[in-house]
Amino acid sequence: MNIASKSAQYLVAFSVVLALNFFLPRFMPGDPLAYITADPSADMPVVMSEEARQELENYYGLDRPLVEQFGEYVHNLVRGDLGWSIYFNAPVSDVLMGHLKWTLLLVGTSAAIYVALGVALGVISAWKRNSKTDTTLLVSILSLGSWPPFFLAMLLIILFSAKLGILPMSGAETPWANHSGVLARPLDIGRHLVLPATALVLTHLAGVYLLTRNSVLGVLGENYILAARAKGISERDVMLRHVLRNALLPIVTMVALTLGFLVMGAIFVETVFAYPGMARLLYDATVIRDYPLIQGSLLVLTVLVVAANFGADMLYSRLDPRVRRQ
Amino acid sequence: MREVVRAIVVGFILAGLLAACACAGGEEAKTETIIVAGDDWGYPSPFAFYPRGPGYIRMSWIFDTLTWKDETGTIPWLADRWSSSQDGKEWTFELHKGVKWQDGEPLTADDVKFTFDYFKANLAGLRWFAALEDVDRVEVKSDHEVAIYLADPVASLLDEIAGNVPIIPEHIWKDVEDPTKFTASETVVGTGPFKLAEYDKEEGIYIYDANEEFFKGEPLVGRLVSTRVSDPALALKTDTVDAAFFWGKEIDAVKELEEDKKFATITGPSFWVLQVIFNCQKSPTAQADFRKAVAYAIDREEIVEKVTHGGAIVANPGIIHPDTDWYNPNVTAYAYGPAKASELLDSLDFIDRDKDGIRETPEGDKLSFVLLTTAEFTREAEIINDNLAAVGISVTVKALDWSTIDGIVREGDFHLAISGHGGIASPGILESPGWPSMTYKNEEYDALYREQSQTIDVTERLELVKQLQAMVADDLPVFAVYHPLIWCVFNPDKLDAWFYTKNGVATGIPTEANKLVFIER
Repeated sequence: MNIASKSAQYLVAFSVVLALNFFLPRFMPGDPLAYITADPSADMPVVMSEEARQELENYYGLDRPLVEQFGEYVHNLVRGDLGWSIYFNAPVSDVLMGHLKWTLLLVGTSAAIYVALGVALGVISAWKRNSKTDTTLLVSILSLGSWPPFFLAMLLIILFSAKLGILPMSGAETPWANHSGVLARPLDIGRHLVLPATALVLTHLAGVYLLTRNSVLGVLGENYILAARAKGISERDVMLRHVLRNALLPIVTMVALTLGFLVMGAIFVETVFAYPGMARLLYDATVIRDYPLIQGSLLVLTVLVVAANFGADMLYSRLDPRVRRQ
Repeated sequence: MREVVRAIVVGFILAGLLAACACAGGEEAKTETIIVAGDDWGYPSPFAFYPRGPGYIRMSWIFDTLTWKDETGTIPWLADRWSSSQDGKEWTFELHKGVKWQDGEPLTADDVKFTFDYFKANLAGLRWFAALEDVDRVEVKSDHEVAIYLADPVASLLDEIAGNVPIIPEHIWKDVEDPTKFTASETVVGTGPFKLAEYDKEEGIYIYDANEEFFKGEPLVGRLVSTRVSDPALALKTDTVDAAFFWGKEIDAVKELEEDKKFATITGPSFWVLQVIFNCQKSPTAQADFRKAVAYAIDREEIVEKVTHGGAIVANPGIIHPDTDWYNPNVTAYAYGPAKASELLDSLDFIDRDKDGIRETPEGDKLSFVLLTTAEFTREAEIINDNLAAVGISVTVKALDWSTIDGIVREGDFHLAISGHGGIASPGILESPGWPSMTYKNEEYDALYREQSQTIDVTERLELVKQLQAMVADDLPVFAVYHPLIWCVFNPDKLDAWFYTKNGVATGIPTEANKLVFIER
């Protein structure tokens, strides 16, 4: 497949997603004004007459034909302008950037840890299959992974913040801190990262671990492994060079596919730790029907997922010579 | 001898330590930081805060209004005195002398006139200050005197306008074209007790420093922080915050904290009402007697007890909160009465003819409806469901998100919905009692509402507001179920001045964080 047609494919997919991002939120019942005037959780309603409503709709351009609004959205997007968040009363790009950096930190760190840990433990389990180690790992990881993330998060808070008081309870860094020294701030951010990242790692570990274990077990039964062993290659080398390389393929696919979901899957953990990430933002934006913010968040997610897929593509060709040769 | 020397030495050391402690303590009282639980409520500029009470409050720590409120009611603030003409169309305010903006410029009568002109010209972005539509013009009478002229008298002027509109500096805002998009640091220069030091939208954190030049004297609190926490009770226990606020169903957390001697608690009104909204234009909810039957069938005591665990009080069917000056205690009470409900339904000829437990209209339609609610009120809805089933009305509870319900209710495509709203400290909320439903139409009621809104005499106005409540209770465009309680749990060693404001801050915001808490009075 040549590059031109591949690019064209990406472009078509991207345009479709862009249009969906724009039209879907607008086809949901309700509109952004329901929340900027008042929802039941607000302590003060802003009761509006129909004229006042129309005035506001006009101010935000919500009364214009959808196609016209879409045209303007695309026009602004091309110039790098993501629009203005109706509820947060700030540029969408500012709101997004503020949350995206924390999500990337949290999800990136956790993903790196649980992939590495999951693969390592999965290999050990498969290697020592049916041994005591294998059973212990299998039972403990599966039971940890079956706990709902918010419950796990609450447990961590109660244990490490409330009882032991060694780690902060919420947020991404200490506010109003006058950090002395270069390392103080990164250390502070790291301390805030420990519990939410642990919660994410524990809930996602099981998936990677199980897949690795199964995949490695599958490869172990292949004839070429028998051949490798017959050649007298050490068990360690068989495992790392022959088994793992082949077993990694489905894992790479899975990690790449789930990365987009992982960003959204962090929502419970973000909520419990009051961590200022993207998942919570997109959820709130959807609930309050903040169209420009929904579009912006979904766009960022789209880009992330496409990038992850691209990354997986690249990695695949490195891991699997057959893909490279095509 | 040695013992004596040792005793003396130890004595000196102890005395020295004590002195050091006392000294440190003394200094601490001046520079103490108070941290309250909060969230992100928008940049605290008068044009950028989210249209919610806490957003207004975080802005009000920086900006002042002509009048303000304490636990007894309206008090002078930037204005020392005021008077109104006989017809209530002209109000003169005499400004406090020597007030300075936080950038050192003096506050003048011109700033006040500019503020009103500017807000009137920029209403579209923020509906919070909609009452300004009634202001015709503002004139500067002298250096320290301004007059507000109204097209029609506005009875609530002292609360909704003078006590609500933050005065902004002309020298900063005069060239700003779109104020909602203006967020430079000079946006938050006010005359108030605190200056904004830092705002973090993502983390939901506000940090304020005391304004030493504040016209009522230097604040008690040197640094005021409002920060998002995931669990307020836990945050209090771990000293992450010095005060946290709780609401209605959170009563269990409050009870637990009350057992801890370290904390003190005050209880206040939420100025919020949960209500059943009726469609007054669709049969059979269009019939007042049917709505009354539903009201009698609902056991509000049971809902308060079982769902809120006592974290609420049974509501005034006239909507206005019992803890305000505007309350009418003598409206139809709707004590739980399934027998009375059945009687009313029988008299409407809504009878269970096919003996399936559900009544039918004379036309043969079953009394079977969808009850719309958001997820947070499904337990209330389930009890109402049981209550209504007991008198032969079948209800299906349907939980949707608020935007959807708001849309459906405004379109009038429903029979019954459960929702709630705040703002019931002020008679202004009675303008459309069925809100967000617009199905209730009553010209007599509307005329009465207009009359009270222009009646300057407080006693006369109270009479009219009471009549409005009686009409709401009799016509039942909505049936008020409960008013939640609110609590402030705090560490009294840090700050002990918390109180609830009479009739709510500004337009009636239920809050513990009135800026008066943080200043010497």
